[in-house]
Amino acid sequence: MNVRRLNLAAGLTTAAILLTAALAVFAARVGETAPDFTATDSNGKTHHLADYRGKYVVLEWHNNGCPYTRKHYESGNMENLQREWTTRGVVWFTVISSAPGQEGYVTAEQENQYMQQMHAAPTAALLDPSGDLGHLYGAKTTPHMFIINPEGVLIYDGAIDNRPTPDASDIPGAVNYVTQALTEAMAGRPVSVPVSQPYGCSVKYAH
Amino acid sequence: MTCAASANGRGGANSAQSQISAPHVEIQLLAEQKAIRPGRTLWVGLQFQLPSGWHVYWQNPGDSGEPPKVKWSLPAGLHAGDLQWPAPQRLESPSIVDYGYPDGVLLLAPIRADSTVSPASAVPLQADVRYLVCREICVPGKANVRLSLPVQSGVAAWNADAHALFEKTREQLPKPAPAAWRIRAQSQGNYFVLSIATGKPEGQGVFFPLGPGEIENAALQKASATANGIEIRVQKSDQLLKPIARLRGVVEFGGGRAYEVDALVAASGARGSTK
Repeated sequence: MNVRRLNLAAGLTTAAILLTAALAVFAARVGETAPDFTATDSNGKTHHLADYRGKYVVLEWHNNGCPYTRKHYESGNMENLQREWTTRGVVWFTVISSAPGQEGYVTAEQENQYMQQMHAAPTAALLDPSGDLGHLYGAKTTPHMFIINPEGVLIYDGAIDNRPTPDASDIPGAVNYVTQALTEAMAGRPVSVPVSQPYGCSVKYAH
Repeated sequence: MTCAASANGRGGANSAQSQISAPHVEIQLLAEQKAIRPGRTLWVGLQFQLPSGWHVYWQNPGDSGEPPKVKWSLPAGLHAGDLQWPAPQRLESPSIVDYGYPDGVLLLAPIRADSTVSPASAVPLQADVRYLVCREICVPGKANVRLSLPVQSGVAAWNADAHALFEKTREQLPKPAPAAWRIRAQSQGNYFVLSIATGKPEGQGVFFPLGPGEIENAALQKASATANGIEIRVQKSDQLLKPIARLRGVVEFGGGRAYEVDALVAASGARGSTK
């Protein structure tokens, strides 16, 4: 998309739509190298995706006020996944792209307090109030899950499981796509469900 | 005749941020006629009334959200058909487009009675409804709505208010595309190009896909009038790894004219076929 062709008189709305379309072109795509990023976590530490080559990396989009996120946190499901997979050497980033003033926006202190309260166990919680990381990956919902393999290739993009509801009672018996993809990939098998429709609340990006 | 259920979203005290003020959502089960007749179909409707600024979702919610789900409990011999979804609106937020109904919707459904159903002074119709309403935040809710109607043969009177509302809602339902229309879908690189020949130039058109993960919902749709219809270019979803065989959905031409679209997707250069 050639932005210079854009007629400035066309107005802000059109510009915003074209920009959205342009961003989507560069979004992460399964089977391709995952876009590199540098981001800061809730302890002030900087993480560079390229530094984690050789490991599986999970990205989990998060909003602590969203009923779908709460389904997986208040049930302990998400924390259990974090614990299980980080124990097995997976790097797990919780990513918060809520803009200031929007639902789910937290300061670093608030996020640390939340993780302690929920017994959450990601490798780190990345704070992305600008939404840059969210836009880079095309994160649409909370939760929205991505998996990057040790070669840096995106191998999963989609929902956490196959039950798109806010009810914790739907978790037992659901097919957890993250567990399935990591298990298959680590066993050297192709990922049987590499993409699915993510479900949940919209990511609360800056307007 | 009707029963309203006002439902609130679930609270949850143990979350770090549980200050969600649940909106007042009113759901009513309405019947178009005052009785069920053996061997006939009665239309009922689930009416969602929401405070201003809130919305519920279409059957394909788009990038986020969840459509209302209904579980019917009906006496033996009565059978509920599919919900009828009026054409939705594009609900735009940064980088995300959902499909739904601002301020609420009336979802009609047919209830068919077997001819063997015996006359009765009152039988219960019940629906368990699960739904999600969103504004900047989302709140899930549940409601049980019910209605009691007699079963009688012969003529059944209209519920005048409901009948008028149902007629208005029927006008908003997507219609089957007329047989004379030529509808083609082509795959061209990152785009699907949908051509619809209605017989006259169409100034505007918006495509709503039935299937999830087929198009980039938030991308600009480029609609251009042709001599005898319209061409709409929609960007393929980044999640679309395999070609799809057909493109199904609804096209809204503006002014509430909405039609069902179901076209085989032809590869670039080939001619698309129609249904």
